[in-house]
Amino acid sequence: MLLQLQHISKSFGGVNALQDVSLHFEAGEVHALCGENGAGKSTLMNILSGNQQPTLGKILMHHQPTIISSPMQAQVLGIATVHQEKSLAEGLSIAENIFAGRQPVNKWGLINYTLLNKRVTALLNRVQLFNLAPQTLVKKLSSAQHQMVEIAKALSSNPRLLILDEPTSVVTEKETELLFTIIQKLKEQNVAIIYISHRLREIFSISDKVSVLKDGRYQGTKITAETNTNELIKMMVGRNIKELPLNQSRQDSTALKVEKLCGHGFHNISFSINKGEIVGFSGLVGAGRTEIAKAIFGAAKVYSGTIFMNGKQVIIKNIRNAIKLGIGYISEDRKTQGAFLEMNIAENIIVTKLTAANKNNLFNRSLMFAISETFKGKLNIATPNVKQILKLLSGGNQQKIVIAKWLLADTNILIADEPTQGVDVGARFEIYQILLQEAAKGKAILMISSELPELLQLCDVIHVIRNGHLVKSFSRENATEEKIIQAAAAD
Amino acid sequence: MKYHLQDRTFTLSLTIIGIVILFSAIYPALFPTFDNLRQVLLNLSIEAIVAVGMMLLMIGGDFDLSVGSVAAFAGGLCAWLMYFQHVNIISALLLGLLASLLIGFINGFFVAYISINPLIQTLAMMGIVRGLALMVSGSGIQGLPYWFNAIGQSNLMGLQMPVWYMIITVSVFSFLFSKTVFFRRYYYIGSNEKAALLSGIAVKKMRLYGFMLASLLAGAAGIILSSRLGAAMSTSGEGMELRVITGVILGGASLKGGTGKITGALLGIVFMGLVSNIMTIARISGYWQQIILGIILITAICIDLLLKKERDAAL
Repeated sequence: MLLQLQHISKSFGGVNALQDVSLHFEAGEVHALCGENGAGKSTLMNILSGNQQPTLGKILMHHQPTIISSPMQAQVLGIATVHQEKSLAEGLSIAENIFAGRQPVNKWGLINYTLLNKRVTALLNRVQLFNLAPQTLVKKLSSAQHQMVEIAKALSSNPRLLILDEPTSVVTEKETELLFTIIQKLKEQNVAIIYISHRLREIFSISDKVSVLKDGRYQGTKITAETNTNELIKMMVGRNIKELPLNQSRQDSTALKVEKLCGHGFHNISFSINKGEIVGFSGLVGAGRTEIAKAIFGAAKVYSGTIFMNGKQVIIKNIRNAIKLGIGYISEDRKTQGAFLEMNIAENIIVTKLTAANKNNLFNRSLMFAISETFKGKLNIATPNVKQILKLLSGGNQQKIVIAKWLLADTNILIADEPTQGVDVGARFEIYQILLQEAAKGKAILMISSELPELLQLCDVIHVIRNGHLVKSFSRENATEEKIIQAAAAD
Repeated sequence: MKYHLQDRTFTLSLTIIGIVILFSAIYPALFPTFDNLRQVLLNLSIEAIVAVGMMLLMIGGDFDLSVGSVAAFAGGLCAWLMYFQHVNIISALLLGLLASLLIGFINGFFVAYISINPLIQTLAMMGIVRGLALMVSGSGIQGLPYWFNAIGQSNLMGLQMPVWYMIITVSVFSFLFSKTVFFRRYYYIGSNEKAALLSGIAVKKMRLYGFMLASLLAGAAGIILSSRLGAAMSTSGEGMELRVITGVILGGASLKGGTGKITGALLGIVFMGLVSNIMTIARISGYWQQIILGIILITAICIDLLLKKERDAAL
């Protein structure tokens, strides 16, 4: 047994990302790891690659207790990781990237380029990149080549355990075949491989074993040959959230209609939202959901297509224009796009409508505090007062404040992009209630989410986006998690 | 109390009061006299006006290294127009200010719309405008019209005019920053530019205006300086950008943006002015003055970081 995880738990300030996970990996075996977004796959990977330490639990390597204290330590132990995000320096050559910081040197201590290039060429051949010079700049590579170089970089340390995180998310089918050939060869060389993916077809064609995580908990391991798609999907999803009333507010008149919208990352998108209706966008991360939302919000360019609001065609030039027309956008990724972490609660809420705090055309701080105080009550924000800096609040409360600024703007159309990201269960429920209340006021809501249960719970209609296309739509009655996952992940 | 300790305008005011009391006791005959303090204020007034513009930019997360050059150029251009081209005073003043505004526009345009890093853009502009200043004022222009010199050399209620201009600039911008929606937006841009954009703030336009205002204030300061000296010199304002940035950071701004108050800019510059005055009185050499100011800056930032760490740990 190469590597064994025993009762691993990891929590971030009260949120349990992993709970009591026990797994073991064998040499010469491809072990697939699957689960929904937020199931804990990446946390597990971060622990194995030395980026994070488990809160509880033991790691055994060759039956010896081991601590993977840093990425350097992981490398020494023979663990290499190919991350989902690009990790190569764009402005440097392939060779410099692969041997970053450990280039072979000659007796003078200077870099031995002949040896470097020879080693890199050998590695590139191993990942079937025969025609690339080691001196090629990384920014000149296609995304598939980029991915292969990442793998070559991981192989450069001769790992005994190779972790591949969504390695096929940016490559074509043909290149996937190539990747599988490489994996097969590594397997023959007795390397253990952890293959993280939510493309079930790939899991079935490459893996020997498959383990499932859900909400940070280990769900079980199956021999791939003895299981099937349905069983895996059942293991990945199938959970209950607290009962909420269904949205009953859908009216007959259309609030927003989008026709044949094309832009960067999406093509020919047509859909509409009625007043009081909640429409959901499902799909994988990077499928183009956010891009569509941002285009409607005037934050991204539209190449062609038309947008109608209340039956009239509108041209949305920029964000302020969109807000004026009555579109609000609760952005994904609160930390980088939604919150002003160093500013206080009141300032965070008032931002979409600063003039609301004007008295005789002059900005009035007490009025600003008074306005935000009403939201504090309405949204049940747990804080002694609204002068508190946002950074000091919990994720759930921060998210409610990011939502509050759009309730203040009071737009007729509200786009909520992953509104429950990084939010605990209690606050989640409150956010659902807020969205339902807004729908009841006649607002049209577009909800983007990677969490199927919440889409199924809240939405009247769910559209599935795959590779920038709207591939399938389900009404509430005939939507199921299995159908949506299949539509979103089908190759 | 904890809350107040994180407010730089509060801690800096206390420090300044402390310094004044302490050195009034040590040098009772030299330091606390009206004449000495008046001179301190006069010496720092020009840089305080520039610091207001710098604070404005730094609240929004930008900064401008070309302010010193702009000050020299605006003063030089006014002098050149009046002395060599016989342009009347009002027109010369307006053209000088307009030129500064234009430089600010170019800086802001390239930074906000073309996405050049402000360090690079304003560093380049610093050199370009210094060259222009050399072109217009050469080895210096003296003998400027009486009424032009009156702008910076008159007195009002015992204080010289530049001090009054400083007081007016600080009060006006301080008022604008706390009382108008327009200027409040800079805090959002400096705090999280992306979130500001997605909340409907016209980030690019605001940054452009920021550079224009900072440059305009630097130009005005330069004109006041050459009026006060009765001469334009191509070397005036050299090193001013770094002194001003030092003062503004002492006054509560951060390079990341989002923090600071206009009064903080004044306090930072006053603090530096007092320190160098005291060192002069104490006959400490000019070399030491720079060393000590550097040490003070690092110390102030360290204290700030420690306080912040304590706050975040209390989470």
